[in-house]
Amino acid sequence: MGVTAAALGPGLALVGYPFSHETTRGGRGFLPAGKLSRFKDGVPTKVDFFDDKIDAWNRIEHVKVGSAWVLRQDDNVVALSTVCPHVGCAIEYDEDHHKFYCPCHRSFFALDGACEDGPSPRALDELEVEEKEGVLQVRYARFRQGTSDKVEI
Amino acid sequence: MRIGEWIDDRTGWGAAWQRFRALEVPHAGWRHTFGAILTYLFFLQVVLGILLASYYSPSATDAWASTVYINDRVTAGWLLRGLHHHGTSAMVIVVGLHVARMLWESVYRRPRELVWFSALVLGALVLAFAITGFPLPWDQDGYWGAKIRMGIIGTAPGGEFLVEFLKGGDDYGNLTLLRFYTLHVFVLPAVFVLFLFLHLSQHFRHAGSLAKRSGRPPSRYYPDQLWYDMLAITLVAAALLVTTVATHGAPLYAPAQPASGYIARPEWYFLSLFQLLRVFDGPLQIVATVLLPGALATTLVALPWLDPGTEATAYRARLVVPAAALVMAGIVTLSAIAVAQDRDDEVYQKNRKAAFKDADRARELAVEGVLPPGGEAVYFNDPQIVVRMLFAEQCETCHAIDGIGGEEAPDLTGYGSRKWLREVIRDPNAPSKYGHTRLDDMEAYPEDELPQPQLVAVVEYLVSLAGEDGGSTDAALVAKGKALFDDELDCNNCHEVEPHESGDGPNLFGRGSRAWIGRVIADSSADDLFGSDAEMPKYGSKLTKEEIELLAEFVYSQRDANQDENADEGSGDTTGNDSD
Repeated sequence: MGVTAAALGPGLALVGYPFSHETTRGGRGFLPAGKLSRFKDGVPTKVDFFDDKIDAWNRIEHVKVGSAWVLRQDDNVVALSTVCPHVGCAIEYDEDHHKFYCPCHRSFFALDGACEDGPSPRALDELEVEEKEGVLQVRYARFRQGTSDKVEI
Repeated sequence: MRIGEWIDDRTGWGAAWQRFRALEVPHAGWRHTFGAILTYLFFLQVVLGILLASYYSPSATDAWASTVYINDRVTAGWLLRGLHHHGTSAMVIVVGLHVARMLWESVYRRPRELVWFSALVLGALVLAFAITGFPLPWDQDGYWGAKIRMGIIGTAPGGEFLVEFLKGGDDYGNLTLLRFYTLHVFVLPAVFVLFLFLHLSQHFRHAGSLAKRSGRPPSRYYPDQLWYDMLAITLVAAALLVTTVATHGAPLYAPAQPASGYIARPEWYFLSLFQLLRVFDGPLQIVATVLLPGALATTLVALPWLDPGTEATAYRARLVVPAAALVMAGIVTLSAIAVAQDRDDEVYQKNRKAAFKDADRARELAVEGVLPPGGEAVYFNDPQIVVRMLFAEQCETCHAIDGIGGEEAPDLTGYGSRKWLREVIRDPNAPSKYGHTRLDDMEAYPEDELPQPQLVAVVEYLVSLAGEDGGSTDAALVAKGKALFDDELDCNNCHEVEPHESGDGPNLFGRGSRAWIGRVIADSSADDLFGSDAEMPKYGSKLTKEEIELLAEFVYSQRDANQDENADEGSGDTTGNDSD
């Protein structure tokens, strides 16, 4: 019995390792999104982000880690994560109606990301942008799904 | 001494056999076969699982490739995997029938409460097996299904912790897959067997007493019920086999692509929950994820107390079956609505078609073997993908195609098409041509200096210079163009057309052919190409011959990219070239 109990402690620690250690890495921080001249007013462009990824014991180079819809609004460039805040499906763009929508549960969003219809609890998650030598840099990040607050994870 | 006696003498199993023969059941019949069918299906799944486990590799890099290997290459792999997949659906159906019968016969009442509870746990375990098993191929369907489910669980109270535990960290990857696998292969089967043992031992313990209470003599399991069980199992097994063969086994989609737009749907038995989520959105989401399912589960667990079968609660007994029927009807209706909505959803249907096409392509490419990064790396077997990546890495900084890329060098959209050639002659220093380069010696030829019909003829001649790679040309127009090129316009003052001669402008012999483009990529500063003012890096020393060939082919193919735009413009010209 004692021996079993002795194994329990380390056993729990083993299983709980990911809670206190980073097991995956990559796709965070500022990633290039292309030349600023690429992005148009009122017309979203989908940008893919590539980064090296650490996945437990693997290191994979130059993988697509996420994407964003990027467009100009007035003088600013806005980047909206393609991850739907509801449950995580990929957001599409409806060219005919100039809206973003999620094909999974049919949430609709305006061009600025505000949720107009459907089960999404909040607007599309905006990502930080930065300009460096004419190239747009976007800080890719992930946020909690299903909550009305935008919480980065 | 006979064998039977020899074994019994060593093991004492003879007594166990006698006990088995003495097992009683309240009565024998078809509707009592569900339990045996489920036990059979469970052990079938275990055996199939073990067979699959001799080929499947549970890492994020190898899961998809090994599943394709099993499904598409290993003998009968598709059949065994298909049986395992459809076996789950079979179990869910039979669990439903089994629970329905238990409700009908009020099995939850004293003294068989434990039979009832263990049945509920076993039913939940079947669903847990499904949830942990479906992501294992790490294909689009499995990955997105898991991701969405984790998202949903995360919204429930305490869900965040469970999700992080199951994910093995912040993101989906190796640890996530392994945790699902470990649960599916080691933990859940052990728990299932434990509860199955409890369930069966409790069932048989009380069987005799129940029969006595009803006043009828009990039947014996062996041979009465066993006969029904064997027949029912055979029928179910046959149905499972036929279904698996008819559906060509289980579906398998393209490898998981975390940044793509795949529209996931849960398995058919979860469709009602899926539909509930569509109905209860925003802050009401918790109704669909926790409250309604929780209420149903709680009611089922509490049935022994809600309907103990006493005189005082006799009216409740009459409610159980209608209530269950109502719930079942609700589940079926919600599922039907979900299916109908999807059938009418154009976007969803389009996404489905694309997903199947994607799947076929990926599985086709996998036959050559998947490179070590695994999963999506299968697309590296596709030369189209490789060349696009190469272009993006090496050329895109300066050259744009279809709006993506730099502006320091000529835009290669439609490069080599008649339209592109017309544009470069009309205005060689336009920003989308050589305007941002140091090559500025050529003057523009606006319409008043070079009428459109003449331009069209010259361009036809230029196309013919590519030789075979130029495609079909109008011979008369080519001759006219050549005459203009040599004599009237004196283009050949700067542009030679005899091989190897250099001039002030690029020698146009072979221009636009794959070989010529390849030479430009390798070293555009050659004397007979763009000369010392050329700023383009010399890729001859940076890339392999194969890579340059691939890129040349890719750039060459841009001329056909926009067919209709390459049609002739211009006043009354009837040559009508519609293919470049």
